[in-house]
Amino acid sequence: MTLRQTASFAWRTLRSMRTALILLLLLALASAVGSLIPQIPNSPRAVAEYIAEHGWVGRFYLRAGLFDVFGSWWFNLVLGLLVVSLVACLLPRSRGHLRAMRQRPVQARELDAFPLYREADVAAAPADAAAAARGVLRRRGYRVAADGSSVAAEKGALREAGSLVFHWAFLVLLLGAVIGKGTGYSGRATIVEQETWTDAAINYDPLSLRSGRYFDGEHSGLGIRLVDYDDDFDANGLPTRFASEVELLDPTGAVTETAVVSVNEPVRHGDLRIHQYGFGWAPVVTVTDGGETVFDGPIVMSQESAPEGRSQLAQTWHGFVKLPGAATDGADRAIELELWPDGRAFFADGMPMFGEQAPLMRYRVWEGRLIDPSLAGLDTRLMHVGSEGLMAGGWVVDPVAGCVLRGAEVAARTGTSCPPGADPALTLGFPDLRRYSVLQVGKDAGIPVVFVAAILIVLGLLAALYTSRRKLWVRAAARGSGSRLEMGGFALQRRTQFDEEFAKVAAACVAAAGGEVRPEREPVP
Amino acid sequence: MTEVELARWSKDLFSVALFCYLAAMVASFAFLAFRRAPFATASTVLGLAGLAANLGSIVTRAFAAGRTPWGNMYEYSSLVAALIVVAYLIGVERRMRIRTVGGFVYAFVVFTMAMAVSFFYVGPSALQPALNSYWRQIHVTSMIAATSLLGIGCLFTILYLVADGAERRRVRRLGQAAPPPIMGGSIDADAPPAFVPGADDPVASVETAQRGALPPASTLDRLAYRFIAFGFPIWTFGVICGAIWAQEAWARYWGWDPKETWSFITWVIFAGYLHARATSGWRGRKAAVIALVGFVSLFVTYYAVNLWISGLHSYAT
Repeated sequence: MTLRQTASFAWRTLRSMRTALILLLLLALASAVGSLIPQIPNSPRAVAEYIAEHGWVGRFYLRAGLFDVFGSWWFNLVLGLLVVSLVACLLPRSRGHLRAMRQRPVQARELDAFPLYREADVAAAPADAAAAARGVLRRRGYRVAADGSSVAAEKGALREAGSLVFHWAFLVLLLGAVIGKGTGYSGRATIVEQETWTDAAINYDPLSLRSGRYFDGEHSGLGIRLVDYDDDFDANGLPTRFASEVELLDPTGAVTETAVVSVNEPVRHGDLRIHQYGFGWAPVVTVTDGGETVFDGPIVMSQESAPEGRSQLAQTWHGFVKLPGAATDGADRAIELELWPDGRAFFADGMPMFGEQAPLMRYRVWEGRLIDPSLAGLDTRLMHVGSEGLMAGGWVVDPVAGCVLRGAEVAARTGTSCPPGADPALTLGFPDLRRYSVLQVGKDAGIPVVFVAAILIVLGLLAALYTSRRKLWVRAAARGSGSRLEMGGFALQRRTQFDEEFAKVAAACVAAAGGEVRPEREPVP
Repeated sequence: MTEVELARWSKDLFSVALFCYLAAMVASFAFLAFRRAPFATASTVLGLAGLAANLGSIVTRAFAAGRTPWGNMYEYSSLVAALIVVAYLIGVERRMRIRTVGGFVYAFVVFTMAMAVSFFYVGPSALQPALNSYWRQIHVTSMIAATSLLGIGCLFTILYLVADGAERRRVRRLGQAAPPPIMGGSIDADAPPAFVPGADDPVASVETAQRGALPPASTLDRLAYRFIAFGFPIWTFGVICGAIWAQEAWARYWGWDPKETWSFITWVIFAGYLHARATSGWRGRKAAVIALVGFVSLFVTYYAVNLWISGLHSYAT
């Protein structure tokens, strides 16, 4: 085969419905694989566990891209071939349809050969009868062409048009998705009440930011200040509402908008979309060392998921403060904290904590060496526990001696007051309890395109499946003082419905042509 | 009535419906086997009784939960069952006058409801906020309707394959080729010419239905096509509504969550079926096989994803 023959063979193969069908089924198969094997973008942890458990199988999967099917080269190759095949089919079909739309309906010769046929003698002269039929057909939405006293009419070009719109819209949807995802970004922002977060790559939660391949790196610089976070739960501990009241600030720091972000009700600001993602508690902690404040700020705490049968709301919250080189001998210190937002749950384990109520915090002071102070977690392998204790909201304690310096009015119940005049080097305070909110912030310029394409897909599909192509012809020939009207037609789809329509159209044509008259006897030659 | 009482009523009515459908299935199969009219009548009466109980169960559940009753798999299954029975009683028994296939439809319904009550039952309660959106109503309603319609379509596909196989065997036994379809028409000018009905036209086969045998393969094929062509755009619409809702609730319109992935797979396969039917060389049995693959995929989308694959749609239990 010459190169030219090969190319034309390849083109013909791509255009065939058989190829498109096989590609569609391959796409389905690949997607099925993607849903059965854990996927990196959805659950990286599950993938890591899978590889650890399955040895070489896991490594083979990783090599073959089976852990990221929808981003793998072979999935995109199938999709790409499908797009090419679709375009190869659609171009000639679209051209053909446009041409057919410009052409006038063609006259037919023998009307009585059509599946549907009726003839009637009418009072009007042939030219008038034909004109009347034209009017009737036109009013019913047919495209009409007249030639003398013959009329040809067509309806239902919408079927092919709908099919074309459906397929083109599918391509536009893919394009919109690829461009939108490619030029956009999305990540999570953790914001404590009263604090402001700025849209810049460095401020996103670790590993949460995903940028598109073609993203230019320019973040918006929008500021988000969390004014207040609020939630409600029903008696069973099921959440009924999460809402973050935010102020949006332009890059100069001026408030441009206030808004409430809640589940199912994202906030849009220019290109950016802000969604409610998560929430938690952030106790404000102060640490002084030798009279000097070494830490003062909110600690974003996290929670383990509850075991079977225990309310998630009964789970305590965990956090820590790292103080490198803070001990008097130059060793590192770390304070590990466990929070009960509702202090009553400390005494009644398993009680769900719906909100802030006399909060309590357990502290544990670690001394020794921090393995890497910049690491996200707390590694205590080279440390030992110096002291432990409990503190309530508003207290300041001496964690080494385990006594309460300020806020002693509750101390009688849960702790002991320090002796008067005590001045410990290390103090730990819990002046305030705040909420934090995790917002999903992202930009996707493709969304409107995808949305419009999706609407066109549905409309095109409805037109392609539920309209039908119909052809009708009317001819009038002189017969006595009036004329004989012949009507024939057929439908390519939905023929039973067309039977009725044809009867109605024929009756209307007869009525418009002066009504049926008794046939006059043919003159004897 | 208190909410607890309503919930109990709902569950009892569900059981009544399940048993009515089971009895309707037996009666319908008896009609298919023995071809006695009382069996067909009994099947219809039992089906209607089951439907009444089913609808009663859905309504009482709605009052017990204080919301529209489609928030979890148990409720979806109840609604799917009711919709399938409605579609069958109106579309097949009443309009097309086919009464021999009811047993298969009821078997499917009984299976759906039995799965619901044994694997998915949860007491009525309010929804978590992510599920509490008006898109839920639209998305879930269309997905349930489409599941029912595609399910019936696939059932007819199976029957088509059975009937087609039997017809082929009969032809082979008689040692003659299948008669070619009649094209064109009569030469008698007074009689309008006959024409071969198109693939998308319903043709009621009154004669065979009265005799009690399965309808001819071509009728079953057409029925399958009509239900699938009806369900497919609704499925498309439902998936799109789901994407819009996902954008609102999860900040992305598509994330290859298992349920999303499988709804896409099902969509792709049924799209393949519709294309195959319009392609020469793929019509008939080949297209039917694609529809069967679609049936499996529909099944996975509806059940397996919730039972065995965890993802954002795991609200089942």
